[in-house]
Amino acid sequence: MKPLHGIRIADFTVHNAGPFATHLLSQLGAEVIKIESAMRPDAFRKPHPVYGREGPATFDQVASTKLSVRINLKKAEGVALAKRLVAVSDIAAESFRAGVLDRLGLGYAALRDVKRDIVLLSVSSCGQDGPDSHFAGYAPLFGAWGALSDLTGFADGPPVEMRHVMDHTVGMHSAVAVMAALAQRRMTGLGAHVDVAAREVASALAGEALLLAAAGGSPRRMGNLAEGLSPHGVYPAKGEDRWLSIAVREDTERAALAALIGGEPDEQAISAWSRARDANEAAETLQAAGIAAHASWTTPEIAADPHLRTRHTIVEVAEPDGTHRAAVGVPMRLSKGAEIGIDRGTPRLGEHEDYVYGELLGMTKGERKALEESEVIY
Amino acid sequence: MPDTPLGSLKVAVHARGVAAAYAGRMLATLGATVTLVEPPEGCALRREPPFLPGSEVSALFAYLAAGMASVTGNPRDHLAEAVIFIDDTPLAEREALGIDEAAIAAAYPGLIHVSVLPFGAFGPKSGWKGEEINLLHASGEGYLLPNGLTTELFPGRPPVKIHGHFTEMQGGVAAALGALSAWWARPELGGQYVDVASQDAGLAVGAFAIQRLGDGSVEHRVERSFRFGGVIECADGFVELLTLEQRQWDGLVDLLGNPEWASDPDLADSVGRSRRGPEINQHIRAWAKVRRVDDVVREGQQRSVPLARYYTPAEVLADPHEAHRGLFQTVEVPGAGPLDMLVSPFHFDGAPLTLAGGPPSLQEEEA
Repeated sequence: MKPLHGIRIADFTVHNAGPFATHLLSQLGAEVIKIESAMRPDAFRKPHPVYGREGPATFDQVASTKLSVRINLKKAEGVALAKRLVAVSDIAAESFRAGVLDRLGLGYAALRDVKRDIVLLSVSSCGQDGPDSHFAGYAPLFGAWGALSDLTGFADGPPVEMRHVMDHTVGMHSAVAVMAALAQRRMTGLGAHVDVAAREVASALAGEALLLAAAGGSPRRMGNLAEGLSPHGVYPAKGEDRWLSIAVREDTERAALAALIGGEPDEQAISAWSRARDANEAAETLQAAGIAAHASWTTPEIAADPHLRTRHTIVEVAEPDGTHRAAVGVPMRLSKGAEIGIDRGTPRLGEHEDYVYGELLGMTKGERKALEESEVIY
Repeated sequence: MPDTPLGSLKVAVHARGVAAAYAGRMLATLGATVTLVEPPEGCALRREPPFLPGSEVSALFAYLAAGMASVTGNPRDHLAEAVIFIDDTPLAEREALGIDEAAIAAAYPGLIHVSVLPFGAFGPKSGWKGEEINLLHASGEGYLLPNGLTTELFPGRPPVKIHGHFTEMQGGVAAALGALSAWWARPELGGQYVDVASQDAGLAVGAFAIQRLGDGSVEHRVERSFRFGGVIECADGFVELLTLEQRQWDGLVDLLGNPEWASDPDLADSVGRSRRGPEINQHIRAWAKVRRVDDVVREGQQRSVPLARYYTPAEVLADPHEAHRGLFQTVEVPGAGPLDMLVSPFHFDGAPLTLAGGPPSLQEEEA
């Protein structure tokens, strides 16, 4: 039994941040029912141009292990059907712009009417209230609003955009908040509306810099420097665009590094040493000497790594078409219960309606057919 | 009846590094009673930069330990009341302290024992050291940054790290999630051991690079740039611009004043726009360079164009939106006085969470 066995989530989230939250919870055992429609599939299910390439770039990872049904929320019967689904769920999750769920007739009050102790997770760029709550946003904007991006980059350069990691950390933070709400429900019998503001997650990841600013300090971006650690940085390794990260904290480590490279470990000397060595071999040599180091890994290196495979961090997932691909599992290992992680690949749109509508909601074939013909299940 | 989400939960944290402390901080902010168990000289984070101006108070420690209590001693002696124990002691040192997996399971069978290490407690690299920069590069995102404007300006420079302790904090979030998941299952499964690696957590949030590998694309920081938009310099700062949907492009064209170049039929679809991205960006950059950030963001968002100001920390602190949201709370920071501290990105039932207080003084219970 996985830890969240028995928990059901009606998942209205789209794009990345919200879906990643429910993706993690699905791997922990929750039954996640992803709700889309042919008219409005998740924008990331469709091919779209990313970095100049057209492709379904981001959907498979976060949709795996979920069930898929179609509901057309533009129709009143669709909203009613969504409520039936929420009524048999523990959690509803959404990532529309603030106010959209209310306008659909599926706001927290409406959902509580059909499920008294529902936990509603709302993930948005700026939160459910406040002067900017209507703002549209994606991952790079979250980092920009939250100051994390202003603090990232070279001292003499511009700020640096955050990418999918920003979306996904919002999702992982959200999963924690949902678990807290479930715990509260167990204690009190009460549901909750959990509101996660993505830009505030970015700020939380720079909380110490914000405190410094509150005290009158002026934190600035500083490239690869890290106060208190020296030497510290990314050094060239043997080969084209190969790099080695090294971080020295203690005098003993500094002495060990000096002994390894045969002299005072200044930037020039370290670079001369590292440039002549394979990044992975150099990292092993440094670790053996008690120095924190790691090669700057490309994705093929990560996908093939024995350590990550041993930990089941990297797993093979079978897609419906029979192909296999490497995927990243939920980042933890539990000593008890069934093994957590990805069970299935990407669901086809509406793939699990026999189970969800037939078994779970007890709808007859005639009832489903009528709703399909009226483009409610669509 | 507890009035905070985790009001009934008791947690002990034994942390040298950011990951374990951030896990404890999240749980404390959600209402758990969190006790930091420190060695007599105080936990290492107390001596970790940056320091608050004119003081020896670590801003990092103050932020991470806010809302926690503190005791000193061996954590093994402070677990009687705890339901969750979060520990980042290196594996090789645990047995001597009596806090290895087997010893804890024997002494406290109902405890959720969460191990948080750079590379985890299991696997060939479980003994490896890892500071933030190493973890960022071991989990993929290190190689993929910077991007966009920075790579244009500095093509020959090495990758650059994300500010602060991003990957370690992901380890902390994963630890909090693992802890609460195991706690949820405790009535059926009892206590258990949760093994978290910051590398794994960093990789999880960077998972799309692995997916794209399966799709046949090896990501690289130079190619991983939006073809237009991105970091745009205005007269008084930077904005971020990202249009993914047609209606957002339409809004952008309107924002730019419907210039003639934008009416080229070749730019009617996203593929054509991607192909001519650099050219589009030249127009956007020239337009933005003479305008103010606030005007660009306000007028763009009115047209549903995703645009955001690159806020400095001071600007976040002064931001009316965040003031409305209650993102900051004034707490007492020993040695530095009352300061505005970020609370949490979560609201429950329409209200922000609250910090129980600032960071604890050392040996607080005897003060």
